[in-house]
Amino acid sequence: MSRTSPEQSRRIQIIFILLLIAILVALPQVIKSDSTINLAVYVLLFVSLASSWNILGGFSGQTNLGHAAFFGAGALTTRMLWLSGWNLFPSLLAGGLVAVALALLIGVPAFRLRGVYFAIGTLALSQILYITVGNMLPMISSLPAQDLAVYQLAPRYYLFLAIALFTIGAGYALINSRLGLGIMAVREEEDAAESLGVSALKHKLVALALSAFFGGLTGGAFAFYHVGYYPQLTFGPEWTFDALMMVYIGGMGTIVGPIIGAVFFVILRELLALNLAEMHLIVFGTLFILVVLFLPGGFMGVWGKISKALARQQ
Amino acid sequence: MPFLQVEGLCKSFGGLKAVNNVTFDVAEGQIIGLIGPNGSGKTTTLNLLTGFLKPTAGAVTFKGENIIGRPRSQMCPKGIARTFQIVKPFLGLTALENVMVGKVYGRDSAKSLKAAAEESREALTRVGLADKARMLAKDLTLMQRKRLELARALAAKPQLLLLDELMAGLNPKEADDACALIQQIRQSKITILMVEHIVKAICALSDRIVVLNMGEKIAEGTPDEIICNPQVIDVYLGRAHA
Ligand SMILES: Nc1ncnc2c1ncn2[C@@H]1O[C@H](COP(=O)(O)OP(=O)(O)OP(=O)(O)O)[C@@H](O)[C@H]1O
Ligand SMILES: [Mg+2]
Repeated sequence: MSRTSPEQSRRIQIIFILLLIAILVALPQVIKSDSTINLAVYVLLFVSLASSWNILGGFSGQTNLGHAAFFGAGALTTRMLWLSGWNLFPSLLAGGLVAVALALLIGVPAFRLRGVYFAIGTLALSQILYITVGNMLPMISSLPAQDLAVYQLAPRYYLFLAIALFTIGAGYALINSRLGLGIMAVREEEDAAESLGVSALKHKLVALALSAFFGGLTGGAFAFYHVGYYPQLTFGPEWTFDALMMVYIGGMGTIVGPIIGAVFFVILRELLALNLAEMHLIVFGTLFILVVLFLPGGFMGVWGKISKALARQQ
Repeated sequence: MPFLQVEGLCKSFGGLKAVNNVTFDVAEGQIIGLIGPNGSGKTTTLNLLTGFLKPTAGAVTFKGENIIGRPRSQMCPKGIARTFQIVKPFLGLTALENVMVGKVYGRDSAKSLKAAAEESREALTRVGLADKARMLAKDLTLMQRKRLELARALAAKPQLLLLDELMAGLNPKEADDACALIQQIRQSKITILMVEHIVKAICALSDRIVVLNMGEKIAEGTPDEIICNPQVIDVYLGRAHA
């Protein structure tokens, strides 16, 4: 068997990615079943959410236990502005920026303290918002009748697709940049990174801001997509922990891992028809624990080992 | 004006005076050895010079500028790089990426990642790790990690390099290699402050030696003066060296 050169395999990769994108773009034209498109919407939503969590959790190594706060803040902001008559895109942008503002509010003090403060701080923030929004906005948020009359699924699907590609692309650009190198250096060894001129605080905040921005955008897309939901829903802890589990299962700190994790997770959930919250937790919680214990590095880690072994065989 | 001026430097941890009123100067281009028994305050001194610790009292000026109180991440861009007594590699990054961090964030940083990668390859070659560029730091041996740490610090183009027991844990052959490496670095006009327990090596390399004992400076001078100094023999070198 002849071996492929790095340029060749890179070209094959690019062709594969373009093909995949083409299929995703054509999907709503070919498949007319709403339930399939809805499933695809959820896959894309979680690809974005997991990839955005991974920007902070995977590349900078900071454990965010309150990503739902950013998703929810994006959703709430976008929904309010859009329903009040703003255009969609400025509403989405505003949602992302509100999430960033919230992130910096918690990140600046928590990163200064270091240690577990960030994990606890983000968890507390998201739970406080969950309860507060539940109390202040107890009514269901439904699309007005005139919007419902013209509701179309395809534009929603394309918005999610665009945000997923945008999030993945941003992550890829980040880890191939000077900034990304600094972020990963801080993750690996903070003292050494600082001794070489990398400001740990600044780099963590950049990763956090990016992560929150894309989390907020994803929430905004959800607000545009959903016909009627309680605003509290988008602040629920399951958004955080589902995304986190997908990243661990797929492979933290990689570009592809969160994508695979999200696809696997959403489709498995659909196949098992796990609509009951408890079942969902039992199945995915167990899976998560197994991966953490036996497959550190997730699916991508396993894949890495297999391809290394194959390369040795040749 | 001295290149590096340390004046009345003090650091207490609770009641313990780890560094007590230490004063010395370093001239540009010199190699200064910093020796002393275990716990005498050598590493603490390096930590104070690099912003890893804030002194209780004292002043440090580098090229005429007071550097006390500056965030530690600003030291390297100013021209001060260091290694750690217990090496701190970026374990999950490749050897090349480890060095690139120094190139990208250090003094006079590389213009692009690509340029940084090329220059970092040269730095790896200089310390004899050219063939390890794509290996993860966690797969390197201790000696290789020490070399990597040195390459990383050198990649930051320091004017002052602080080395904390670079040779500890190396066998005699490896220590000789490390000596040769330091001689090479001196050729490139980098001023070095090095902490080392191997007396033979430190005497061969240093222009001057500062001796600490229980946080205080007890002697300073040329290697010849230091190995004959009765107080140094008494607290550190022992009779065997005399
Ligand atoms: N962060 C710290 N907190 C409390 N005490 C410390 C701290 N760092 C160092 N010390 C103490 O200060 C003293 C000087 O330590 P230092 O590490 O500077 O010694 P050293 O000369 O480098 O010794 P060695 O040769 O063993 O490396 C020791 O008694 C040590 O226990
Ligand atoms: Mg020490």
